[in-house]
Amino acid sequence: MDTMTYTTQNIWTWWIAVYLFFGGLGAATLTITFLTDMYCRPHRKLVLWGAISGVVLLAASSAVLFGHLLHHTAVIYVLNPLVLFYKPDAWIAWGTQFILWMMVWGTLYALPYMRETPAFLRLPLVGKLIGSRLAGWLVGCCMKHRRVVGWLAAVNGIGTAVYTGLLIQSFPAVALWHNPGVPLLFTVSAFSTAFAYLLLLLHTFITDENDQDLRHRYERFDLVLIATELVILFSFFSYTLSGSESGYRSAQLLWGDLGWLVGFIGFGLLVPFLLELKGAIRGWSSRLPTVAAALLVLMGGYLLRHYFMYAGVYAYPW
Amino acid sequence: MTRYAMVIDLNTCVGCNACMAACAMENQTPVWKNKWRTYVHEKEIGTAEEVRRRFLPRLCNHCDNPPCLTVCPTGATYQRDDGIVLVDPERCMGCRACAMACPYDARYEVTYGDIKTGREFYGDLKRESPSMDKCSFCAHRVDKGQKPACVETCVGSARMFGDLDNPADPVARLVASGVAQPLMPYLGTRPNVYYIDDMKRKG
Repeated sequence: MDTMTYTTQNIWTWWIAVYLFFGGLGAATLTITFLTDMYCRPHRKLVLWGAISGVVLLAASSAVLFGHLLHHTAVIYVLNPLVLFYKPDAWIAWGTQFILWMMVWGTLYALPYMRETPAFLRLPLVGKLIGSRLAGWLVGCCMKHRRVVGWLAAVNGIGTAVYTGLLIQSFPAVALWHNPGVPLLFTVSAFSTAFAYLLLLLHTFITDENDQDLRHRYERFDLVLIATELVILFSFFSYTLSGSESGYRSAQLLWGDLGWLVGFIGFGLLVPFLLELKGAIRGWSSRLPTVAAALLVLMGGYLLRHYFMYAGVYAYPW
Repeated sequence: MTRYAMVIDLNTCVGCNACMAACAMENQTPVWKNKWRTYVHEKEIGTAEEVRRRFLPRLCNHCDNPPCLTVCPTGATYQRDDGIVLVDPERCMGCRACAMACPYDARYEVTYGDIKTGREFYGDLKRESPSMDKCSFCAHRVDKGQKPACVETCVGSARMFGDLDNPADPVARLVASGVAQPLMPYLGTRPNVYYIDDMKRKG
């Protein structure tokens, strides 16, 4: 058995990259906005944007996965919370529950703000639901246990972001995926893209002057996360260069591809890092560079997952 | 206790693919899209005068530590006490995580379309639901005291099926002697399909 075949897979392709990207981005966005609301200052608009973005992105990512299932009705087994008792070793089971409960607690945390926002009350069906007596009672409960609800949503959000990496890590045949760096990389990337997304919002749709401190704070957090991501990626580069043929071939695929090298590392990380660094040290006279940096980080977030899925190399002994 | 395993002798596999055909008929696999529970890989090794052909039959390794079972979120993949790893098609939602986790490329998908084609191709199709699929060591035959279809049909007797927990079983003796080795044991999957390496003869 002295021959080997090295091949990439075509089972989980772009749609899983979309699932992982939207999942991480939505979960981290919701978590950051709720923590900001609880520990910096109450911020109705930010929480509403965070909750809606989180729920919509997670619903979209789940829909992409659901659409690609072979046997749609069997999804009921993984939606049942008891799945964590009979399949605690399956990360998809954990991820599905994290996503579900993040949406539930996220909606509950945002409910009091929705009820005091006229735009929501004017919506046809949603307005009636929010204005109902049941919603009023729920708002009372949520206000009474505000931090508990916020933390339940945040913990499930963090769990979702970490899960996106643990899922890929659970495939032992591929050196690029099966290592402890993947959950770390995907979590850091999820929070970096979420800060970028929020910076984009704070420069376009939530343009309150009082939010200048938040913009600076988010920009600094994003800078630290991009720098961390670069360090992790350098570790990956070093790790894949030796140790296994699978890893080495993944390194060749990634670092020999201009899309990864220029598109992701260059424009998805280095350029936004420099733009945000200049913004953090000296500031910009226009919001355009920060908006451009945020858009580039978001593009990089998807590219990371896209290339990661396509560069996983299986080594078959035939 | 019984622990089933298979030994494949690469010296006597002639690449006739009878195992693939027998398995396909027994288990009604979607052969129209070149998907098989067992597949014989053919490779030419060496150059010029020194070239030789090597046939390597591949199937689910029914690992003791199966990564496909760990990642399965619905519990559709399960392991019997005798070590055979099975898939419950009714419970499988077809997320394909098992195919990603398997280092032996043993999994393939059966879609709604395949079920429709299968009814025309095989007539009385046993399967009702789409799912991920793989070799079952012909558990339905083994339970009746028969050998898996691929073992039964192998003209070169390259495939042997037996019980590792029975010291008198030829399969257990081959494995215990170290002549038969599993594929990629360093992955920690503890496979139960073993191979006797070929003698590198020209043929």
